[in-house]
Amino acid sequence: MKKQLLIIPSILFLLILLALFYLLIIERNPSELPSNLLNKNVPKFETESLLKSKKFVSTKEFGNEVVLVNFFATWCKPCRDEHFYIQRFANEKGIRIVGINYKDNPKKTIRWLKNLGNPYSDVPIDKNGRIAIDWGVYGIPETFIINSKGIIKYRHVGPITKKMYRKINLLIKEIE
Amino acid sequence: MVPSLGNLALWLSLLFAFFQFIVSRKNINLKFISVSVIGLLISSLISFFILMYLHIVSDFSVLNVFQNSHTTKPLLYKISGVWGNHEGSMLLWILVLTLFNYFIFKLLNKKNSDFILKTLETQAFITIGFILFTVLTSNPFERMIPAQANGLGFNPILQDPALVIHPPLLYIGYVGFSAAFSMSIATLTLSNSEKILWYNYMKPFVVAAWTFLSIGIALGSVWAYYELGWGGWWFWDPVENASFMPWLLGTALLHSLIIVEKRKSLQTWVLLLSILAFLLSVVGTFLVRSGILTSVHTFALDPSRGIYILTFTALLGGYSLMLFATRSKKYFDNSYFNFFSKEGSILVNNIFMVVVCATVFLGTLYPLLVEAFTNNKISVGEPYYNSTVIPIIIPAILVMGIGPILDWGKEDKSKTFKKIFPSVLLTLIMTVFIFLFYQSYSFIGIAGIILAFWIISNNLLILFKRNKNYSIGMIIAHLGVGLLILGITGSSVWQEEKITRMKLEDVTKIEKYNIVLKKIDEIKESNYVALQGNFLVYDEKKNIIAKLKPENRFYPVTNNFTTEASIHTNLFRDLYIVLGEGNLSDGWVVRIYYNPLVIWIWIGALVIFIGGITSTNINLRKLKILSQ
Repeated sequence: MKKQLLIIPSILFLLILLALFYLLIIERNPSELPSNLLNKNVPKFETESLLKSKKFVSTKEFGNEVVLVNFFATWCKPCRDEHFYIQRFANEKGIRIVGINYKDNPKKTIRWLKNLGNPYSDVPIDKNGRIAIDWGVYGIPETFIINSKGIIKYRHVGPITKKMYRKINLLIKEIE
Repeated sequence: MVPSLGNLALWLSLLFAFFQFIVSRKNINLKFISVSVIGLLISSLISFFILMYLHIVSDFSVLNVFQNSHTTKPLLYKISGVWGNHEGSMLLWILVLTLFNYFIFKLLNKKNSDFILKTLETQAFITIGFILFTVLTSNPFERMIPAQANGLGFNPILQDPALVIHPPLLYIGYVGFSAAFSMSIATLTLSNSEKILWYNYMKPFVVAAWTFLSIGIALGSVWAYYELGWGGWWFWDPVENASFMPWLLGTALLHSLIIVEKRKSLQTWVLLLSILAFLLSVVGTFLVRSGILTSVHTFALDPSRGIYILTFTALLGGYSLMLFATRSKKYFDNSYFNFFSKEGSILVNNIFMVVVCATVFLGTLYPLLVEAFTNNKISVGEPYYNSTVIPIIIPAILVMGIGPILDWGKEDKSKTFKKIFPSVLLTLIMTVFIFLFYQSYSFIGIAGIILAFWIISNNLLILFKRNKNYSIGMIIAHLGVGLLILGITGSSVWQEEKITRMKLEDVTKIEKYNIVLKKIDEIKESNYVALQGNFLVYDEKKNIIAKLKPENRFYPVTNNFTTEASIHTNLFRDLYIVLGEGNLSDGWVVRIYYNPLVIWIWIGALVIFIGGITSTNINLRKLKILSQ
């Protein structure tokens, strides 16, 4: 066998390493899924509100200011994990947050919000998951940024982590 | 106070590891080395058991305990919660590393000091890498101020007996390969002054690592089968692949070592394999813990961890493979061997294993690469693996059946047929018998059953001939593989699945069984509440053969639901029922599976484990005699 062949494993290893480093460096986020609704208007919907007696009408609620839309449910553990960050958005940034309550029990949700704190300005109820389908939600939690013209600018799948919190903050500033 | 002690012990172990790295040279007083090795072992034991203590007493001033535990959790899962999370599992990993480090140290004597000291030096380097990683990016003793009244709870799907020992067994496997890696480095750096039978040192470690990795992977499968409630036991999940790839290379390594031992050839190849097996284990760790891919196993996403592990892998891999490129030539020999011989068959199987490993590697990384370069999301799943891996595995198993009965050097072809005739006959009889029983025919089914009995009958015949030339461990392990193939074939080819909505007293028929939903109970345990279905299973003679009670559990602490499948097992098939959502008026969604021969997968894995342990023992005894 030629002596030169012995270097092949090193070369292959180097190539694989480069690919892996590249994957890490590009800050690819496995939770960032392209959305067909990106740069399009918010899907229209009307539904009961958990907190208010009048109905939640999407055409009235979106299009006035930048809004964060967060799909959540009390039975979803990651939703609980990200709740801390959702609250920080509400308290520190004073941004309006709409929490769409996905396939959940209203009584449990009210108790949940009482225990953990309520960052949402309104909580429209998505009882059978119909709204989530219109929004193309994969699985909760998911968070969308809507600009002041009522257009979806960003979508994040999965819980908001420390890093995502910073990123979304920057995005909000940009969109504003 | 106690958490700080644990932290101190962890830092001490880092210190001892550095010390070992420095003093592992010849001409240094042996006392220093024993102090470092034993100090390392004791300090890592202390830090591990302190973390366990903190979990047991539910000390919620520690972030790790707060995030992963709760006072209502049963004691067993409080203990297993130590390694059920990223930080704690790193501590277990370090503990296993230092244990192996100690075993290697025990082999040290005057004749092999160059070799063993170099091995210990490399082990120390690996240990430093992992301890640094733990203290810098994932310290389990990090405090939580102020202390909380109760914890966030432990993911209920991890509360399962099989998962209690799954990670420790896997880590023994991965870390065992680190010993082979270090010995390979030592062999490559050795000058010729010390003639050492390095492969005899490597072999028990490789056999042990392979054995524990096998049973560890099998227990992961057991967990997936019983706990996830998807009716299957293997999903080609990226993390399953991450453990499967080192196993494949380990299989190749194990068998090539036999050739090195007997014929002194293939040494270069074995040195390379032992490097790659461990590198793949570390890359597996990287994939799981960097958050680069999503899977049921992934721990919290944190890219800084990814950068660290990848840099460490680059150091290990760069050094070892460059060393291999420059120094391995002296171990090369030009002897060719006959294809139709024992070593020929082992070599052919080696090639198959490496090809399968490369195929799995490609399938695991391909979606990531496609996404990075084209921004498209694709997923590579079962169809890819089924259509690539199975065609390579079938000839490999065929060769595996005949390999052990061939002679070393050159097989006398005229005698071969006489040797294999009884097993061919036995295989045919058993295959016909199985098909009369299940009456279902497909190419993969027939191939799988023939292969399974081909392996089983060959090894049974060797066993009955009581030929002393064969290693008993090998025969047992190969028998286990035969049983495993039987189970895999049966459960994947003849599985039946029914998904229906059932009200009380409704009947569903699957195969020859009638299943009736009798009632739904509500039950309450310390850490969960559950809906429990009561199903009666009738056979064709209207006898009740089983009462199955699948559960739909709700864990209030972590706020999630899990399903507990209920399974009736016998040697021929499993009946597997999962209770879904529903209510009294509409009925409940029920999934029922008829899974033939599943039990043989677990029996096979257990038999493989027993064979592996036997073989480890024999090889250790050989090494003891040799190194005296």
